[in-house]
Amino acid sequence: MQSNKGAASMEVEETVATETKTVAKPNFKPLTAHEVSDGQVQFRKIPVPRHRYTPLKKAWMDIYTPIYDQMKIDIRMNVKTRNVEMMTRRDTPDVSNLQKCADFVHAFVLGFDVIDAIALLRMDELYVDSFEIKDVKTLKGEHLSRAIGRLSGKGGKTKFAIENSTKTRIVIADTKIHILGSFSNIKVARDSLCSLIMGSPAGKVYSKLRAVTARLAERF
Amino acid sequence: MAATTTAGAEALHRLKLTEPPMYLTPSSELANLARTASEHLFTLLKPYTPKSPFDRLLVDEKFDAEQIWQQIDLQSQPLISSVRRQVNKFEKDPLEVNNMFKIGESVQEKPSEVVLAGEEEEDDEDEDEDEDGNEDEDEDEGEREIKERDAGDVGDMFFNEEEMKLMEDDEDGDYGLNKKKQVLKKTGGKFGDEDEDEDGDGDEEEEDDEDDELGLLELAGEEDDSEAEEIMYDDFYTSNKKHDQNKKPKVNKEVKDINMRDDEEHEDSDIGDEDGEEDVDEDDDDDDIVSDEETKKDNLSTHEKHLLEQRAKIEQVERENLEAKAWTMQGEVTATKRPKNSALGEDLDWERNVKPPPVITEEVSQSIEELIMKRISEGHFDDVQKVNKLPSKAPREMKELDENQSKKGLGELYADEYAQKTGLVSQALSFSDEQKKEASLLFKRLCLKLDALSHFHFTPKPVIEDMSIQTNVPALAMEEIAPLAVSDAAMLAPEEVFSGKGDIKEEAELTQTDRKRRRASKKRKFKAENAKKMAKKPRENTQTAGDGKEE
Repeated sequence: MQSNKGAASMEVEETVATETKTVAKPNFKPLTAHEVSDGQVQFRKIPVPRHRYTPLKKAWMDIYTPIYDQMKIDIRMNVKTRNVEMMTRRDTPDVSNLQKCADFVHAFVLGFDVIDAIALLRMDELYVDSFEIKDVKTLKGEHLSRAIGRLSGKGGKTKFAIENSTKTRIVIADTKIHILGSFSNIKVARDSLCSLIMGSPAGKVYSKLRAVTARLAERF
Repeated sequence: MAATTTAGAEALHRLKLTEPPMYLTPSSELANLARTASEHLFTLLKPYTPKSPFDRLLVDEKFDAEQIWQQIDLQSQPLISSVRRQVNKFEKDPLEVNNMFKIGESVQEKPSEVVLAGEEEEDDEDEDEDEDGNEDEDEDEGEREIKERDAGDVGDMFFNEEEMKLMEDDEDGDYGLNKKKQVLKKTGGKFGDEDEDEDGDGDEEEEDDEDDELGLLELAGEEDDSEAEEIMYDDFYTSNKKHDQNKKPKVNKEVKDINMRDDEEHEDSDIGDEDGEEDVDEDDDDDDIVSDEETKKDNLSTHEKHLLEQRAKIEQVERENLEAKAWTMQGEVTATKRPKNSALGEDLDWERNVKPPPVITEEVSQSIEELIMKRISEGHFDDVQKVNKLPSKAPREMKELDENQSKKGLGELYADEYAQKTGLVSQALSFSDEQKKEASLLFKRLCLKLDALSHFHFTPKPVIEDMSIQTNVPALAMEEIAPLAVSDAAMLAPEEVFSGKGDIKEEAELTQTDRKRRRASKKRKFKAENAKKMAKKPRENTQTAGDGKEE
């Protein structure tokens, strides 16, 4: 691309030179991520909680391969500090790759599955939204347990229903809820989850979901 | 002639000889004698009646009494008138009598005279017995009077002036039948038994009491030397005078007794007399007397009986009118105003449109059972068939929520979405299920075959409200994807695309006034929102304050 441009500019320059002697426009190569940061290497550190340690170990290669090969970011697991550390290389193409990888690993650490989290690497507009049950409604003891049960449903069917209808992924970790998806989808998922927390029955949530998904499908 | 005359005279003689009780029983011998005797008399009188149509009296067996009498009558009527004329002549000129009768020749003529007189009298008596006997009686009486006046010494064994006077006196005072009979008997005694019983019988049988009484009335009325009282209605028809009462039953008894016997000659007259007897009963009606009611009722006239009935009816009706009416006649009657269950007895008149309930007989129940068994064996029941309504609306396309964990990863999902969006992968309208796809495919094939049967002449489908998702995509894009059957009508309507609200004009197109207008509207909106916010904010402040207090 540069060479072509260069050639084109050169041609232009040549033509121009033939006519008049003007100063050649400088033609610079785009800066690499390394150069953007003035040659400094950027790091990211993601702590891994204990309960995600073993799954990380199991899914390490699935995490490592796309990060290292496609994103061109160094990644390593610091066992002592229990962190996943990432570092840019010289040939990292884009500055945002590091952030994406960090988000990807963070998503995995939160509890999402690798194949779901991988979407973060592929798409830009995906986000992870987290909130707690107590943010929505103060529930204690049994109510809390029941609310969690309501959220997930029998065998997780309610959660899956929400996931499938809104194209998001939901992780319910005790009192914390994480939603992975695009912005509008997250919103819809969050609304349905909040209504479930607040106490509405699953059927009602389903009907709302249906209406919403129909509207979402219209967008095409 | 001589033989007949002798026979006739002999018959007469024999009749005279027979005692009256013999006449009570019917005897053909006596009848024959009577016939011959009357024939003889007729022939004797014949010379004096030139205009008589009969040469002799026809008294064969086949002629009945009525006819014989008529013949006699025919003869005697003109005779009487001629005799009367003669008598009048003699009255004017008494000497004529001697001339007429030629005293010298009286010996020969005496028997004839006697006979004549006797016959005349007999004929007169006969005439008396006729039904129109009044005139005869009058004539008889007149005749007798004349005779009496005429010649004081016409005193022979047949006629006694004094006796006649006695009779008249009797008749003045008493006009019962008895007296008449007494008179008759007297006269009969004088004459001997010649035709007397016959006459008497005839007299009794033929005359009606009514006629008799009328005749007596007239007799009494016509008598000049009358010590007769004024005869009043009450004398006849009231019950105060006992003598009438006494008489009548006797009369009736006698009449009845006489009527008991059944004579050939008097058959008709018997019948006639029976009727007369009833009339006798009816004539003497006494209204007021309560005792002897039977006899009184028997003695009432038809008219008076009729009057009685009417009076009774009138009284009954008046009594009913005074009393209260029966409930059936009293207009509107409720149940409380009539006796219990009285309406059941009455035949009420209103239209009943209800069919009478069927009478359950053996046959009816048999027929019903047969029907039931037949139906059961056939399996033909009258079940209610459910009518399926045509669906007016298409069932909503419910997007089924997949409650299973999605097999695709999120990345793949979004990748697929992206691919569909950009059109790298063209997908048809998706079905929710593979099985549904298969089913629809099969059905389409079937429909094609069926349509081929009707040569593709389709009947229009019923309009079904289709609630399908309308994608707001330009028609061009749609037309590529959609199958041929989908028309432009399935696309969004223009008003659905753009309803006309919002900024129509682009920025570049706006004129100065438009710009100013827009700015002004924006400012107004902004101000309104601000005002709302300001209104909200104090509430929030108060709330937070409240929370703080609680904590």
